[in-house]
Amino acid sequence: MAAEMALVKPITKFGCTSSSSPRRLACPKFSCVKMSAATSPSKPKKKATKTEIKETLLTPRFYTTDFDEMETLFNTEINKNLNQSEFEALLQEFKTDYNQTHFVRNKEFKEAADKMEGPLREIFVEFLERSCTAEFSGFLLYKELGRRLKKTNPVVAEIFSLMSRDEARHAGFLNKGLSDFNLALDLGFLTKARKYTFFKPKFIFYATYLSEKIGYWRYITIYRHLKENPEFQCYPIFKYFENWCQDENRHGDFFSALLKAQPQFLNDWKAKLWSRFFCLSVYVTMYLNDCQRTAFYEGIGLNTKEFDMHVIIETNRTTARIFPAVLDVENPEFKRKLDRMVEINEKLQAVGQTDDIALVKNLKRIPLIAALVSEILAAYLMPPVESGSVDFAEFETQLVY
Amino acid sequence: MLTLALGSSSAGAATAMAKVSNGVLPRAPSSASSGFGFSFRGSSLQLTPAARPISSFKAAVAADIDSNEQGPPPKQEATKYYFVIANAKFMLDEEEHFKELLYERLRLYEERDKEQDFWLVIEPRFLDNFPNIAKRLKRPAVALVSTNGPWITFMKLRLDRVLADSYEAATVEEALASNPTTLDFEKPEKWVAPYPKYEYGWWETFLPKASAESKV
Repeated sequence: MAAEMALVKPITKFGCTSSSSPRRLACPKFSCVKMSAATSPSKPKKKATKTEIKETLLTPRFYTTDFDEMETLFNTEINKNLNQSEFEALLQEFKTDYNQTHFVRNKEFKEAADKMEGPLREIFVEFLERSCTAEFSGFLLYKELGRRLKKTNPVVAEIFSLMSRDEARHAGFLNKGLSDFNLALDLGFLTKARKYTFFKPKFIFYATYLSEKIGYWRYITIYRHLKENPEFQCYPIFKYFENWCQDENRHGDFFSALLKAQPQFLNDWKAKLWSRFFCLSVYVTMYLNDCQRTAFYEGIGLNTKEFDMHVIIETNRTTARIFPAVLDVENPEFKRKLDRMVEINEKLQAVGQTDDIALVKNLKRIPLIAALVSEILAAYLMPPVESGSVDFAEFETQLVY
Repeated sequence: MLTLALGSSSAGAATAMAKVSNGVLPRAPSSASSGFGFSFRGSSLQLTPAARPISSFKAAVAADIDSNEQGPPPKQEATKYYFVIANAKFMLDEEEHFKELLYERLRLYEERDKEQDFWLVIEPRFLDNFPNIAKRLKRPAVALVSTNGPWITFMKLRLDRVLADSYEAATVEEALASNPTTLDFEKPEKWVAPYPKYEYGWWETFLPKASAESKV
């Protein structure tokens, strides 16, 4: 998973955004385990100074699910809808392993990292940490699913295992990137120490589908932009994005097939409401996250909001191939709502950074949270766009192919 | 309630209606790729029976392919070709990830020294044998053809807005024969992506050799 999604957590999590590290004031911190300070170019030390894990609303999450229900869902005896030919086709694609030899580093990495200084360096480190965590989160979830489904559906299980191979590769590559900055994420520690967000299987499908597809659109957009504007190519990792993001896109296809195999998750009014909800959660999370990190996007020559809107619109178009309903993100009102959410979120961040006592902070937050919730709700209730795969007859289509 | 319509009766009928011509044998639909056994309501069909000149084109294709490729299907023996098809604008202009997938696969084949077994065919002649598909396509149409069935199933899953089926052909040039046509895509009204579109003509790499040279 290259992108993260978090808004589905209880709204009370807003209470946790306080950041004690002055270095991180501009951007609430997610968990990280450092071997040395980001700004210090010294050799990595062996002894890890394990800093406390701080989780915020917009932190990349680790997911867990109801594995027993997953086993039932993919039991071919119980579920006759399973389109094994699609899964077998996917298995062949994953076995092909397009990127087997792609993730090979060179000396450009370290040289580029050494040249980076000041705020850009910090924000780069954060980008690597967050991306690594998101990929690693995918690895853990897929690995476990691969293990648990082995008996009931070996094909689906093997695909999960091969996807966890990809995620591990991506996470490892990002972690090696961190070593250019004399840092490393202690992934073993993260595995044990991070909180896991529980999602029922159907929510895992919606969430991971979107996460993979939005990851593809983020990476390919950055890649193609940098190809056109190489003067912003300040760290070679972006050169790997073109091949890399094809993995993300294929992972998304797999969840598309999983959803098709479970039409009950696609064909009623509840499915439409959930689809819109997950779209909104993912888009809003990304927009708020990225708007807190404009320095990163500007550092590579992108306009943060334009970049995000492009990614949202494209992801939404892709998602419309499978979700029964999506948001009308191309309506200018949608962006206006997102922009208002950014303003409110900035005020919320500001409250967290004052010296007030906790009670006062929470009181100050109430009207802001109410405003944010009302914006989110308004965006959710905007007239949706009906959508879905053409493989479902229920879908009214005007399409001529 | 919802079925994936694989090997359904309507799909079977569609293929059964395909006429035997050009040595293309009718066959039962494969469960893997006949993803068009569902009904469409309210679709506005555009029937454009294009002129199909049968010229020395085929001979030219044959000559070229014989000299440049070892030819994956052994002659005399029918090989199965799987395809997905949609209008050219969708395939070559709008779906930019499609271009990425094809180049990725080509790169892989080169890396692993594998013979190419997938092609793009503009206005394929095999469409004559699939009237039920042909009548639902905007023209010109473009097919992605491969001898690798599961890969085409995957491409159907990815592209979604395409029709899929398969056919048999004795030779690769027969399988990939096409009717020359010019492609002209209007520029998108507003292009907001922070990068330029992929260049017109990116697909030429994937056209069967001779037709690329004969300026389709």
